Amino acid sequence: MANDSPRDPAAVFREFVTQWERNINTLANQVMGTESVSRLMQEGQRLQLAMQQATSEAMGRRLAAMNMPTRDDVIRLAEKLADVDRRLARIEASLEGDATVVPDDPPRTGRPRTRQPPAEYLQQEKPR
Amino acid sequence: MTNSEAAGEDALGARMRGMVERAIQRGVKGFQYATSGPAKVGLTPKTTLYGRGTLQLYHYAPQSDELYRVPVLMVMATTNKAFVFDLLPGQSMVEFLLKRGFDVFVIDWNPPVPEERGLTLEDYTQDFIPTCIRKVQQETGQSDVSVIGYCMGGVLSLIYGATHADGPLKNLVCLTTPVDFSKMGLTTMWNDPRYFDVDQVADTLGVVPADFVRQMFEMQKPAQRLAGQLRVSEQMWNDEFVRSYRAFERWGDETLPLAGEYMRQTTKELSWGNKLFTGELVVGGRAAKLSNINAPILSVVAEHDHLAPRDATKPLLDLVGSNDKEEILLKGGHVSLIAGPNAIGRMWPRLERWLAVRST
Repeated sequence: MANDSPRDPAAVFREFVTQWERNINTLANQVMGTESVSRLMQEGQRLQLAMQQATSEAMGRRLAAMNMPTRDDVIRLAEKLADVDRRLARIEASLEGDATVVPDDPPRTGRPRTRQPPAEYLQQEKPR
Repeated sequence: MTNSEAAGEDALGARMRGMVERAIQRGVKGFQYATSGPAKVGLTPKTTLYGRGTLQLYHYAPQSDELYRVPVLMVMATTNKAFVFDLLPGQSMVEFLLKRGFDVFVIDWNPPVPEERGLTLEDYTQDFIPTCIRKVQQETGQSDVSVIGYCMGGVLSLIYGATHADGPLKNLVCLTTPVDFSKMGLTTMWNDPRYFDVDQVADTLGVVPADFVRQMFEMQKPAQRLAGQLRVSEQMWNDEFVRSYRAFERWGDETLPLAGEYMRQTTKELSWGNKLFTGELVVGGRAAKLSNINAPILSVVAEHDHLAPRDATKPLLDLVGSNDKEEILLKGGHVSLIAGPNAIGRMWPRLERWLAVRST
């Protein structure tokens, strides 16, 4: 028997959106997956980065003329601090390394680690 | 009027009423949607066990009286925040594992700051992951640790496993983890060394901005964002749908910047050289041959994954040295596999079963 009840407009809308999305994505992937588009994208990016580099250098020269630190100078300082941080972490790690962890150490989370998987898991999963 | 005609008119009337009610709700809730702040995500109680620069290690409060012996460490991809593992109550992989008796730790990433532009694969795999594993061992008193890596987090976990063959890795789970980078679809095309000057990108930007990374993702499915907005406008009456949409939207918006050196290295070594696949990758002076990995390994991949396509994930099990290895291929995409309805109904229960019998 034919179903002659009117369709839910919301369902029709959802189907339309899904189909539209699929079509656009497929089309876009076909276009953007070509070598010429890839080359064009990267050329655009190269140009943008070159402009950014030129602006940054010009700004650096102005700041130097005003006897002010540039962003790179600040980053270098931060890098030195980060290096100190790393050294401290290494020292901490080497100190902790002296206290070797053994399997029978008491758990710090305070709950027993004795849980066993349900029997049906053992039947379904067989570790090799 | 016959009984069937009367019933038909009643049904039509009920349907019309339903449509009008939803239209009103769309208006009211649409206003709330537009005026509310960002979605509240990552709500499962946790403590930050360790943090250093971009690295964050969380320990989630156990939710079971009795735990499996082996703790689980989840490693997030470097491009996104780890709250996708703990999106919303009831839609959280972390919460799911906690309730089933696992002790869960997560490595998350803060946006790298300019002084971290020099971070490399060596930092992530020979420093960050080993440090976190040591912290997990100390916190739990256990020498064995299971690792779950998602996407690039899976790649980092593989490199860690391959360079620490005698280490404490008890089990390794790779979620949507590519290994053959020559089969990465559009990403491979856009990274073509003839046109993509990664040195210029890394040298000029230092830290590659989040917008740059997000565009690389969004350009692969350019209609996805608008289609999502159209869907949510129609489903505005549906609180569950809107809540989930907003959480995913926030996650997508909070894409992370990448350290320039890391991007340079992953592009040259992984994408161009395909060295993880060929076994030629060397990190921190150690050979990162996947055949070195002997721990039980589970690879979970999505059938319609556009970011880590099937061809790129497929070879993993052939490359590792483990005897105990399994692949689970599920319907869904790159993100829905770990946090969508497919994850809740299919992936998490399979993951739990696999881990449970190997965590005692």
